Amino acid sequence: MIPKKMVVIIGVIVLIAANIIALSVTSRRHASFGSGRIALSFAAPFQKAVTRSIRFARGLWKHYFLTVSVAQESYKYKKALGLAQQQNNQLRELKLTNVRLRNLLDFQKTMTNQVLAAEAIGKDPSQWYKTIIIDKGKDEGVAKGMAVVVPEGIVGQVMDVSAHNSKVLLIIDPNSAVDALIQRTRARGVIKGGSSGRCLFKYVLRKHDVGVGERVVSSGMDGVFPKGLAVGRVAGVIRRSSGIFQEVTVTPFVDFEKLEEVLVVLSPPKH
Amino acid sequence: MTYFFYICTFVLLLIFQTTVMPYFPLFDRFYDLLAPFVIYLGLFRSVRESIPIIIIFGFIMDNLSGGPLGLYLTTYLWLFASVRWVITILRVRDNVLLPFVVAAGVLLENIIFMGAITMFESGSRFSQADFSTVAVQVLWALVTGPIFLIFFKYLHQRWDKWSGEILGSPTS
Repeated sequence: MIPKKMVVIIGVIVLIAANIIALSVTSRRHASFGSGRIALSFAAPFQKAVTRSIRFARGLWKHYFLTVSVAQESYKYKKALGLAQQQNNQLRELKLTNVRLRNLLDFQKTMTNQVLAAEAIGKDPSQWYKTIIIDKGKDEGVAKGMAVVVPEGIVGQVMDVSAHNSKVLLIIDPNSAVDALIQRTRARGVIKGGSSGRCLFKYVLRKHDVGVGERVVSSGMDGVFPKGLAVGRVAGVIRRSSGIFQEVTVTPFVDFEKLEEVLVVLSPPKH
Repeated sequence: MTYFFYICTFVLLLIFQTTVMPYFPLFDRFYDLLAPFVIYLGLFRSVRESIPIIIIFGFIMDNLSGGPLGLYLTTYLWLFASVRWVITILRVRDNVLLPFVVAAGVLLENIIFMGAITMFESGSRFSQADFSTVAVQVLWALVTGPIFLIFFKYLHQRWDKWSGEILGSPTS
């Protein structure tokens, strides 16, 4: 008789061996016998759902923070862009001011008279009269009757002075008068303000040859404007059959709508 | 306090008209902003209160403009007198008629200016552009004039209320 204890031990050893053999066989063949498909079909949808949910939540979490950070960055960039644009505009404005002032300075050097730079700070409240207010007055040496010019040409004449401001009558105002001449032919006349920002070149004798496009300069004979300063270009000539004068229209060189800085001629012109 | 309100309004209008508006080409042919203010005084305020204000403002405007001294003063006084006369025959305080009152006022101002130029400047002629400017100003006045009047009225009421609270008594 085999003892019962010995039978149990042998049974266990056989089971272990059988198990090892079975495992070694299945490990080589990878056989599923159809059960795998069933299990997969059952579990997969849940797995899929859970996995997707987790991924969705994780994605949502990640994207939320990403969006927040992107939004913050975007706001930061927008702010930076705005500042940059503002700086760009300021720089552009500075550049233009620099060009204008440089022109003014160059022009100032070419002027033999003593001049004072001033800034236009206001315009005439009326549409019918053409004056500007500048930021220099009596205390800076400005006096009534002084000429006001820019590199492009004559602006006008000081008509009223306070301590720190002056009113300048522009040459396009009907009350203004500048003694001038045609540069080429030396035909003389008086520049008076006309309509639509143009001037009339009055009292030019019919016998003088005046052509469209000719330059008109100051004669210096009025005792206000230095000789040879640009006034404008002849825009039209009407020579009637009667009368001793011809009608000449002049377009000023100065753009009076864009006047910002001007020069006041402090010393009177030399004859 | 009311006079202080008038001075503040005047300064604001003046600065806007002579310094801010020239930067905007849209307002190249805009009308005188003081015109609706004078019309407002004529329509809604007393003669005793308005006359000194009109004289002072007209005088200042004359000094800022290149026109003959007294032109603005006369224009404003005539404008004021016309409005006072009109309110005796028409109920112009109604909002419906306000655009026409301002437009007529602006037209009157331009006619006075043109008359002055014709009278005082020898050989002056008006071009097509001048008449076009007047027409554009009148159109601007038709559209924006009542807004100014309503705004002045509203602002004045608020100012009176506010100054009344500050001083503890209603102001004139």
